[in-house]
Amino acid sequence: MGIIQKSQVKSPWIMHFCNSSCNGCDIEVLASLTPLYDVERFGIVNMGNPKHADVLVVTGPVNYRTARVLKNLYDQIPDPKMVIAVGACASTGGVFHNCYNILGGVDKVLPVDVYVPGCAARPEAIIDGVVLALQKLSKAVGVAK
Amino acid sequence: MIENLKEITKDTLLQEVQKFADAKARFVTTVCSDLGDKLEVTYYFNYSPGVDMSAMRMVVDKNEEVPSISGIYLAAVLVENEMFEQYGLKVKGMAIDFGGLMLLAKDSPVLPMVKDKAAGGKGGE
Amino acid sequence: MAPRTVAPFGPQHPVLPEPIQLKITYENEKVVDVVPALGYGHRGIEKACELNEYPKNIHLVERICGICSCIHGISYCETVERLWPLEVPPRAKYLRVIYSEMSRLHSHLLWLGLLCDALGFESMFMQFWRIREKVLDILEATSGHRVTQSISVVGGVRRDIDAEQEKTCIKVLQEVKKEAESLINVLASDPTVKARTVGKGVLTKEQAILLGINGPHLRASGVKEDSRMLGAQAYSELGFEPIVETAGDCYARALVRAREALQSIELQLEAFSKMPEGEIFERPKGRPPANEVTYRAEQPRGECFYYAKGNGTQHLERFRVRTPTFANIPSLLVMLPGCELADVPVIVLSIDPCISCTER
Repeated sequence: MGIIQKSQVKSPWIMHFCNSSCNGCDIEVLASLTPLYDVERFGIVNMGNPKHADVLVVTGPVNYRTARVLKNLYDQIPDPKMVIAVGACASTGGVFHNCYNILGGVDKVLPVDVYVPGCAARPEAIIDGVVLALQKLSKAVGVAK
Repeated sequence: MIENLKEITKDTLLQEVQKFADAKARFVTTVCSDLGDKLEVTYYFNYSPGVDMSAMRMVVDKNEEVPSISGIYLAAVLVENEMFEQYGLKVKGMAIDFGGLMLLAKDSPVLPMVKDKAAGGKGGE
Repeated sequence: MAPRTVAPFGPQHPVLPEPIQLKITYENEKVVDVVPALGYGHRGIEKACELNEYPKNIHLVERICGICSCIHGISYCETVERLWPLEVPPRAKYLRVIYSEMSRLHSHLLWLGLLCDALGFESMFMQFWRIREKVLDILEATSGHRVTQSISVVGGVRRDIDAEQEKTCIKVLQEVKKEAESLINVLASDPTVKARTVGKGVLTKEQAILLGINGPHLRASGVKEDSRMLGAQAYSELGFEPIVETAGDCYARALVRAREALQSIELQLEAFSKMPEGEIFERPKGRPPANEVTYRAEQPRGECFYYAKGNGTQHLERFRVRTPTFANIPSLLVMLPGCELADVPVIVLSIDPCISCTER
């Protein structure tokens, strides 16, 4: 196992993208970076630039306009990458299922690795989702036994 | 019941709005609703710092053109674009014209708020 | 003339938790023109509200925005109740005030944190969010959820606050007040914060009125206007006085929100002391009658306008929300031109933009 693979698993950099979310999950994603939950102690850093990121955290359902942006961001993240759909509406469309401008969950556009339930998802659940994604990532880069 | 409601026509719209502007009223918003064959547009204003709201209502045909009030109240530009996208209300002379792509994307359903449209979210099939 | 550059700001941008795009034209470092591009958060909630049965809309309306969700839910109920009109029990009115003010408190703390983040004042950002968690804890303890409380139903509220919870709430609020006061003192007197905010994004009283802006943004320009002055719910029984600043710049907006956060703690404490005993819910009779009503509520971000039209069935004929940011965005077109590139994030943030509210 090379040093790059090891650091990818030990210190994943996440990028958060908000689709047409209601903000609830976004604020919880931000809250998990702040003192009470503090994911930085696991080496998780929030990034603004897709080319720096290993994990894409997506909140909210996909609408017709964000579908293109989301695809674009996903393509810019270097391999291997993980996608986490945070919240009920990112997973399935949730409460917005009958809104006219909604395509559905994130898996309509991207392959999703981890689904985090909840509306809004709690910070504990989000951290749990990131940890699950890391286990998957370590298999992908060949670190896992 | 809507308080202080006044019926107007599209010809007197701009004069009436100018009166509000002269009286230093704040533009609140407009509400458009579909009456079947006609559209009902209601403009709401608020005399600052008073607490009462005033309203003006006009009923127009679906393919009629109404003047934009964004020349007087710039704030109306977003809501006029929204009415055009959602109901197909033709507004003439908007300060910024998003061309029907302010809220909706190119492949979104067209005129989604019109009553006889199928309401489904999945691309309006 | 210097060469002009058009650059997009957003939709994915570090200072914006939400997707909005501003197409900004620069002349060297100076901004000369701004065009907002919306639509990244549009879902079509107004239409969906016509399709769902009216009691189910509460959950949908709460998810117009996750930060102002509690007040959206309460105001939807207030609007629909006005169709009959229904009178809710007095205790329910007080509970609605308490939850509204609690969500205003956490929203303003959140915004103060984001402001510090935009200024690069990272430790202060963390401090504000740390004390905000205490508010979320009491929201969770009393209503069952941190973000979307769903506390209000048509006819009253869903859950009561018992004596023991009340004691905890009062204790936590007093702690938060003490900590918030000291943080706000630091923020308001910090020379770096002043250097970045004083005189930036100035909006005069006349401009503010003509642009139709609202909320803390309007009050920072010296207009005494607050929908809570209308006295809906129990506000008429609480000594409420809007907070006004006159400078109209980013610093004044920060001060308005900071003082409002402290004021909302006072309002909650007062509401707890005046809250009468009794019922919290009264079942509405029949369906919403054919009638149309408007209602205005003061959200953390400003005045929110609701319109509902009933037709005697379980469904609403038309439901419309005009959210505060929808009215505040045009002010960016006036405030941004003339400012420097590095000030754009702070000025954009100073209106407390809530894009998911704006686009519904």
